[in-house]
Amino acid sequence: MLWQYVPIAILLVLSTALAVLIVLLDALLGPRKPTFRKLSPYESGMVPIGPGMRRQPVRFYLIAMLFLLFDVEVIFLLPWAVTFRKLGLFGLVEMLVFIAILLVGYIYAWKKGALEWE
Amino acid sequence: MSALNTAMLLALLPELLVLALMGVVLVADLAGWVQGRKLGWLTVVGLAVVLAVSLSVAMPNAAGAAVWGNTLRHDALSFVFRMLFLLAAGLTIFFSMDLPGLGDRGAFYLLLLASVLGMMLMAMANDLIMLFLAMETATIPLYVLAGFFTGRRDSVEAGFKYLLFGALASGVMLYGLSLLYGFSGGAVEFEAVARGLSETAAPRWAVLAALMVVLAGFAFKVAAVPFHFWAPDVYQGAPTPIAAFLSTASKAAGFALLVRVALVAFPGGTMPWWGAALAAMAAATMTLGNLLALTQTDLKRLLAYSSIGHAGYILMGVVAATKLGLTAVVFYLLVYLLTNLAAFGVVTVLERNTGSPAVAHLAGLYKRSPWLTLATLAAFLSLAGVPPFAGFVAKVWVFMAAVEAKLEWLAVVAVLNSIVGIYYYLVVLKVAYEYDPPADAQPLQVSRPVVWALAALAVFVVVAGVAFGPWFGWGQWAAMALFP
Amino acid sequence: MVTTFVFVVAAAVLLVAALIAVLKNNLVHAAMGLVVSLFGTAVLFVLLEAYFLAVAQVVIYVGAIAILIVFSIMLTRRVGAQWGNQTNPTWPFALLAAGVLTVLFALMVRGWNPDQALPAAEAVPGDVTARLGAALVNPGGYVVPFEVASVLLLAALIGAVYVAWGGRKAEKSTQR
Repeated sequence: MLWQYVPIAILLVLSTALAVLIVLLDALLGPRKPTFRKLSPYESGMVPIGPGMRRQPVRFYLIAMLFLLFDVEVIFLLPWAVTFRKLGLFGLVEMLVFIAILLVGYIYAWKKGALEWE
Repeated sequence: MSALNTAMLLALLPELLVLALMGVVLVADLAGWVQGRKLGWLTVVGLAVVLAVSLSVAMPNAAGAAVWGNTLRHDALSFVFRMLFLLAAGLTIFFSMDLPGLGDRGAFYLLLLASVLGMMLMAMANDLIMLFLAMETATIPLYVLAGFFTGRRDSVEAGFKYLLFGALASGVMLYGLSLLYGFSGGAVEFEAVARGLSETAAPRWAVLAALMVVLAGFAFKVAAVPFHFWAPDVYQGAPTPIAAFLSTASKAAGFALLVRVALVAFPGGTMPWWGAALAAMAAATMTLGNLLALTQTDLKRLLAYSSIGHAGYILMGVVAATKLGLTAVVFYLLVYLLTNLAAFGVVTVLERNTGSPAVAHLAGLYKRSPWLTLATLAAFLSLAGVPPFAGFVAKVWVFMAAVEAKLEWLAVVAVLNSIVGIYYYLVVLKVAYEYDPPADAQPLQVSRPVVWALAALAVFVVVAGVAFGPWFGWGQWAAMALFP
Repeated sequence: MVTTFVFVVAAAVLLVAALIAVLKNNLVHAAMGLVVSLFGTAVLFVLLEAYFLAVAQVVIYVGAIAILIVFSIMLTRRVGAQWGNQTNPTWPFALLAAGVLTVLFALMVRGWNPDQALPAAEAVPGDVTARLGAALVNPGGYVVPFEVASVLLLAALIGAVYVAWGGRKAEKSTQR
């Protein structure tokens, strides 16, 4: 029963291996002649001040929240889509109601300006 | 696939109407047709229509029926509670309509309606899945509502605390529900769970442990010891009408579900320790709630501890697990819900006028606003259980239920607690009647909707105390759902 | 055999990742540990033949919740600033409580009379996901919970918009 997951496992191994390989190859094969100029972040221009990661605006949180909610919707769509032909008209209507309620929420967020970036 | 029929739609009519009302409010808010406090009127009128239509069309017969694939029960018990939640939501809106930052926001009405929808489904839930989902639908909007004043630290703190404890409680409860599902051999309907548990091969202690974990979730919802500690902090920080809604409708919803679970899914006989655990919880809840209320100087915290105490009295009726017990629970919740809403209505007015809900600010209320003081008197004496107010009758019935079920010790504890309770309720009234008002005192400003709501509630508290027959009849009718 | 091997590997990865999530002082690293442990849980679901749950776990937890957590960290903390300790001084007590609970659980499982073993979960016939889909839209099944889920999501959406945006926006407009 686990054999159907072999492709996923292969994909996982391959992608991890590829990521490691690229970094490794670069470290092994790339010529390295560091100079002061080369090590500075920008060849011309200011040396940046402060840490690279700063506090993000709260908008990102809202986007992530919206993503999460619609992700949950997608998960409900999956079992429905698998048997969609057998479920007939009633199944379609039920799913439309489900999506409509969430769509209303989406329009609400949109109209309230939650998606604007100023 | 079974087909849809009218009976199913009719059973779910109140919920569908509330959902439709949510849609109307949302569209009206977005399109800008209705704005500010007018949204409150729209919602109140909508709730009144839902109430009227449900009462005239969707009344079930007492025994009721399981509908929608047995996920819901449409019977007298669920119906009475559903109507109560609609009423509580309407009254809450009356109190909040004129509060800036609350009553002028569309989101407030939408979240309140969503929460009410969840509570109505809690009252109807007939299987473990619906139980959990309805509970979450009722609670998640309340997290936001408790922290609704995003610019105020105490409100945000209240919302955050409620969220953290609530998430923990529902997580723990879900774990217990999954254990019950496993022990009962994969049953989700309450009756099937009861059947499964009675013939399960799993050891008794394992089942009992799972039950206790589920009970913890309920205890959080109704603010019963040892899961009560969130209540004072959350009530204090939350906008006062929301605190009112939390301490009345939310608590009643918890009990509506608890009685069904306690009496249908785990009847006392099958699990010997279950009844004892509930009784211990009832005794601890009322004692701790009343004792801690004694030292409070903040009216909202005082009412929070008093509401914990009342949860203990109500639990007594659940422990009794008899027809009289269930009747008393429903009647008590009806009376408590309306009385406590009145008490919180007074706090809303006080806080709006003096800036804080400290008991000391009540000083000389009688000389400043005699009518408001009269409403306070009715509410607090009813909470204290003094005749002829409704709270007295309600208390008498739960005590009788406890005695009838051979739980005399519990009744004695409850009577002692009531005496403690009378003290702190009377202290509040003493401040209002005996103390002198501050020199620059003016009559308190009370907005029109609050006047109407408070007047109606005060009249009810007196009428239901003198002529309790019809209201008690509702309780009896509701109890027939589980004890035909 | 293969199942046992996969289980041991997945459980080991899960445990290590969970420890990283709890012990690392750098919250971003802790979040990454959490992501890996959530993925390990998905593997455990696969081993239990709960395919749909595995998919849900990957899509919702590994996909969305992880992003939400990383964003929350980034909008509340400055990475260069003091991270502080993740644990507070009471951690030995927590460890003690967890240890006691583990011992109790172990005793319980050992004390479980083998004759009283729970009936093995019946093999579910057919495609579980398809059956779930049929149950979700069947009026005699779980239509109401299904639709309530969307109401719950709608309420959460309104609440999220209000908390992150609505209150702030209204303040601005009143200031103007």
